[in-house]
Amino acid sequence: MRQILLITDGCSNVGESPVMAAAHARQEGITVNVVGVVDYGTIGELGSREIADIAKAGGGLSRIVGTPQLAQTMQMMTRKTVVQTIQQAVNKEVKKILGEGSLEDLPPAKRSQVVTVVDELTETTPLRIALLIDASASMKPKLAAVEEAIRDLALSLEAREGRSEIAVFHFPGRSSSEEATLDMDWSSNVSEVRSLFSRLKMRGATPTGPAIFRVLEHYRYDKLDEHRERVDRAEHDEREGMIGGYVV
Amino acid sequence: MGMSSNPPYPVGTVITGKWRGNRYVVERMLGKGANGTVYLVQREGRRERYALKVGNDTLELQSEINVLTSLQSCRKRSEYRARRESPLSSYLLESDDFKDGINEPFYVMRYVEGRPLHHFLARHGATWLGLVGLRVLEKLQKLHECGFVFGDLKPENVMVSDYGEAELIDYGGASPMGRSVKQFTEWHDRGFWNAGSRTGDESYDLFSFAVLCLRLLNEEGLKACAQQLPQTRNVDDLMRLARNLPDKKLSSWLCLALKGGFPGSAQAAAVWKQHIYGQRKPAKETVDTPRWLKNAFMLSLFVLAFTIYWVIRF
Repeated sequence: MRQILLITDGCSNVGESPVMAAAHARQEGITVNVVGVVDYGTIGELGSREIADIAKAGGGLSRIVGTPQLAQTMQMMTRKTVVQTIQQAVNKEVKKILGEGSLEDLPPAKRSQVVTVVDELTETTPLRIALLIDASASMKPKLAAVEEAIRDLALSLEAREGRSEIAVFHFPGRSSSEEATLDMDWSSNVSEVRSLFSRLKMRGATPTGPAIFRVLEHYRYDKLDEHRERVDRAEHDEREGMIGGYVV
Repeated sequence: MGMSSNPPYPVGTVITGKWRGNRYVVERMLGKGANGTVYLVQREGRRERYALKVGNDTLELQSEINVLTSLQSCRKRSEYRARRESPLSSYLLESDDFKDGINEPFYVMRYVEGRPLHHFLARHGATWLGLVGLRVLEKLQKLHECGFVFGDLKPENVMVSDYGEAELIDYGGASPMGRSVKQFTEWHDRGFWNAGSRTGDESYDLFSFAVLCLRLLNEEGLKACAQQLPQTRNVDDLMRLARNLPDKKLSSWLCLALKGGFPGSAQAAAVWKQHIYGQRKPAKETVDTPRWLKNAFMLSLFVLAFTIYWVIRF
C-alpha cells in the first residue's frame, strides 16, 4: 500500500496544478493525504480549498492544524487511510462473496469476522509513505515540529507487524531544475529521522504540483529495485485475492 | 468516514436493536470516547441499568466489540475453572444496530458506577492509591493473561466506586499483544518519552500506569517535563520525578516500571501488593509547624513572662 503525505502551509504558485498531480497519484494507486500547518493567523480561503481539493483528488484526507497537533494528526490520517483502503477492498470482496452490501448491512456475527480480517491486514500489509514537506520560507519556524512529527510517525510505523517504510522529500528543491529534493530514502529505521532539514536553504516559490510528480517518479523508479518487486508482488496478491486466503 | 460526532440522544430515547430487538431507554449521557458516545440506559421492563456505547464508525466499534468478545470468552474459561461466575463480571452483554436513524452500531456493557480515578483521589485523598493502584494492576494482569494490552491507560479510563473498587473502561485502545498500540495519550505513551517502542506488550501498560501515578501525585512536575523540546524529553526526567516522591518504596516501583524492568504485570502487581499496598503509614501524620506559628508561640511566651513579671512587680 502506498501513500503520499503532503505537509504545507499555503497555496502552490508554480507549475502544474497539485490537484491534477494528486489525481495522477490516485490513478497509480497512491493515496494522497494533506496536512495544512498554521500556527499564526489562517491559511486563507484559497489555501484551505486547495488543501481539501488535493486530498479529494488523491483519494485521501485533509486537515488543517497547528504544530502541537501535527504529530497526532499525521498518525491518525495514516492509520485511517490504511484502514479505509483495506476496508474498500474488503467491502468489494464481501459483496462478491455474500452478495450483500457494505459492512454496515452485515449481521453482527459476519461483521465480526470481516473486521477481524480488516484488523489483521491493517497491521500486516506492507506500507510505504512518502512525506512531502513544503519548505518555503513561511514554513521555516515549523520545520522542527514537522521533523518531530515525522519521527513520531516512524515510531508508530515501526511498531506495525508489516513492513513499513517512509521516505522524506522537501520542495522546492536545491536548484530551479529540481522540483523536490529527497532527504531520506525508503527506511524503516526511526533513528534515521534526525536533523533532516538542518542544512535547508529556504526558497520562495511553492511548486506543490511538480513536487508531487517528482514523488510519483520516485515510486515508479523504485519499482526496478529487486526488493521492491518482492513487496509489489505481495501487494499485488493482496489486491487480487485479498480476502480469499483469510476468510474462505 | 465516521469522523462526525452526532449530537447526543436526548433523555428518554428508546434504542431498539435491529437484529435482536432489545429495547433500551436512555437515562443520560455518561461520556464520549474516541470511538463513540456512552449512555446510561435501562433495559425496558427491567430494573438493571447498563452502559451502552453508540459508535460513530462501524469498523472501529466492531473492532472494539471483537476485543471484548475475546476477553469475555477468556474470562469465562478461567472462571469456569474457578466456579464463581457472576453476571456482573461480564465485559459485554450484547451488540446490535440502532434500528431507527442511520443504523448506528452499539453495544451494551455493565455499568460501572463511580468517578474517574483522579477525581476519586482528589476527593478521598492520595492514601487510597495503594489499594486502588493494586486493583488496577490486578485488572491489567487479567487482561495480559488473556493476551491483550490495554493501550490507552490514563486516570480518565479508570472508574473507581465510592468504596475503592476499580474498573477499566473504554477498551477502544486495547489490542492483541505484539500488535502496534492503536490509541494512546501523549503523556502516557512510552514512545512520547523516547522510552521504547509502541508495540503493545505488558511493559507498555506498566509504563502508562507509572506515568498515571506520577500524574496523580505531581501533575505540575509531569507537565514541566512534558513541555520540554522533543529531542530532550527523556524518561530520566520521569525517574527524577519518581525519586522525589516522599514514599521511597513507591519511588523504586515507579522507576522500575518506567525502565521496563518488570518481567510482567504479575510480578509488578505482586511487588506493589507487598511493598506499597501492604505498608500502612502511622495514623497521625507529622506536619511541619509553620514558622509563623512558632514565632507567635515565642511571642506569647514572652508576653506571658512579661505579664507574670508585671503582676509580681506590682
